[in-house]
Amino acid sequence: MNRLSMAVSGGIARVTEAALGPYQTAVIRIGFSATWLLFLLRELPHRHELYGPDGPWSWDLAQQLTASNGSFTTLMWSDGRVWFEIVYALAVLSSALLLLGWRTRTMSVLFMVGVLSLQNRSVFMGDGGDNVLHLMSVYLVFTRCAQVWSLDARRAERERAARARGERVTDRTGPALWGVLGAVLAAVTLVGRMQGDWLIPALLWTVWVALALWWLVGRRARTGEPRILLDVIGNVVHNGALLVIMAEACLIYATAGWYKVQGSRWQDGTAVYYPLHLEYFSPWPALADLLSASGTMVMLVTYGTVLVQVAFPFTLFNRRVKNVLLAVMMTEHAVIAVVLGLPFFSLAMIAADAVFLPTGFLRRLGGRATGVRDRLARRGGRASPPGQRARENPEAEHVGSGA
Amino acid sequence: MDAYDEGSDARHRPDVPSRPAPPGERGAPAESAGPVEPSGPAGTHPLGEPRTGVAALSLRYRITVALALAVVAVGVCVHLGMTFLHVAPANTVTKAHGEAVDDWIYPEFEQNWKLFAPNPLQQNISIQVRAGVRGPEGMTSTTGWYDLSAEDGRAIDGNLLPSHTQQNELRRAWDFYVATHDSENRPVGLRGSLSESYLRRIMVLRLDRDHAVRAATGGAGVIERVQVRSRTSNVPPPRWSREKVSTTPSYRELPWWKVPQDEAAGGVR
Repeated sequence: MNRLSMAVSGGIARVTEAALGPYQTAVIRIGFSATWLLFLLRELPHRHELYGPDGPWSWDLAQQLTASNGSFTTLMWSDGRVWFEIVYALAVLSSALLLLGWRTRTMSVLFMVGVLSLQNRSVFMGDGGDNVLHLMSVYLVFTRCAQVWSLDARRAERERAARARGERVTDRTGPALWGVLGAVLAAVTLVGRMQGDWLIPALLWTVWVALALWWLVGRRARTGEPRILLDVIGNVVHNGALLVIMAEACLIYATAGWYKVQGSRWQDGTAVYYPLHLEYFSPWPALADLLSASGTMVMLVTYGTVLVQVAFPFTLFNRRVKNVLLAVMMTEHAVIAVVLGLPFFSLAMIAADAVFLPTGFLRRLGGRATGVRDRLARRGGRASPPGQRARENPEAEHVGSGA
Repeated sequence: MDAYDEGSDARHRPDVPSRPAPPGERGAPAESAGPVEPSGPAGTHPLGEPRTGVAALSLRYRITVALALAVVAVGVCVHLGMTFLHVAPANTVTKAHGEAVDDWIYPEFEQNWKLFAPNPLQQNISIQVRAGVRGPEGMTSTTGWYDLSAEDGRAIDGNLLPSHTQQNELRRAWDFYVATHDSENRPVGLRGSLSESYLRRIMVLRLDRDHAVRAATGGAGVIERVQVRSRTSNVPPPRWSREKVSTTPSYRELPWWKVPQDEAAGGVR
């Protein structure tokens, strides 16, 4: 009994004292925002056909469907072309800024708004990759995903250094951004355009109020307690969201795997042959033929796929096995990207997998990336200021994720 | 959380640089200048004693933290439970509480991970279309069949970055149509009629891109009606398998649809 209570209090201490997995949450932030950004850029020439008011899934059709299912999309606020272009541009911009970790909490909200707006506008254009991004964009809002590898982390470090030197630091951008977005939110709500399900509008307002609270408490309450309280709540919410993200990834693999077990083609070992020979999933027919030339190979890959997908959630109990499987799955997705012509689906899945990468590996990766950047910067003729080093210290950024 | 290896363990390892002030001290810079709480191996902590910022809080605030913790814990458990029930096969619980699950999941948490499962599609379904066209002198004529899926297939060939317009648009529009119509091609509910309009609009758009009107009339003209059919053919079994399947395609022909005048121009180009 005593042991149990100790375990519980230890667990509570862990989830309240820190936002866990700073590197993992940063890497998925970068992964998902990069996937969506690249997708939006790739579809730039097709954007009107996919999501525009005059596309085949016309604004009128979308209006009828969203009115019946209540999904959230800002594109239903107006059927104007200009509005569409604005939303698309903001989706591009917010994913780029989320990638960089600039005003991350706000950008994660805008990123979510962009993803939901476009995807819910034309649900029949999407595939599994869009589905992953859709869910993760909502979950990311709850995380402190800019503790490392972000402009926010760098800014926080500089501010701390400035304070240590006794300088006063005032942030004007944060309140301005907050004010503008609040005005938009209020206007849309008052005009009554915020239709449909209550969840996303409620989330938008909640984050907006929470940011104001965070700012106020940071400025006014010098006693510390309210600030600690908000910080702890932020940690708890972050850790809950991180758990949801990891569980979601497990659910994806478990569902994909366990349903396959029931399929006759996965049982007889030929399943992998078929997608390779579908018109819509065979960009390289010769390669597909080569890959499926041997029946034994096809069977091994077929069985291996099912095995890995079913096993993955259970391997989380053993680090080493998990890491091996992670490498296998990321490789398989990279292959799928090319062979089945599903680059964005694969990128989204690899990003989701990355939440399980070990911290040591991610730190080495970050170190190497920083090294490359510094070398490029030096070649470019300017030395990088000392503050630009990759942050080794994951704690800095609460200002960033909070403000 | 065991799985979450170093992400959560890092701070208990001696080889990892210790963090700066724990949250409890962050609000009070004067304190954090002093020696920081030890962050050595987990075992060195006095057991059962909170090491966190929570320790610095008065009872009132601690109760708030406990409340927040409870809300988040319940929220996470309910969400994961609902999501599990949503992706699981129909079962005793979903039969009794399916509505509650749907209320939680829709619209934003809908998901489907039956990727190529239980069986991968083993048929190529080609969507083809022809149009009834009125020429400049009022002459009407019918175009030949355009195999739009074959066009998509060619656009995807050798393409590292296939567009959703090539890979998903027509394919999923057809799935949508099939899912919302009975075998007599009668629409089921609102979604049925939406899917018809959608498919028709795609057809007009694609015919316009293929310059079908010019091909039929030799000049100007307007699309008055379209007819869609699907051609389903089995993927031939692998060479190394002894299986035999018919490779004769089967067709499903939909009725002719009138194209409203304002749509005939094709919308997006």
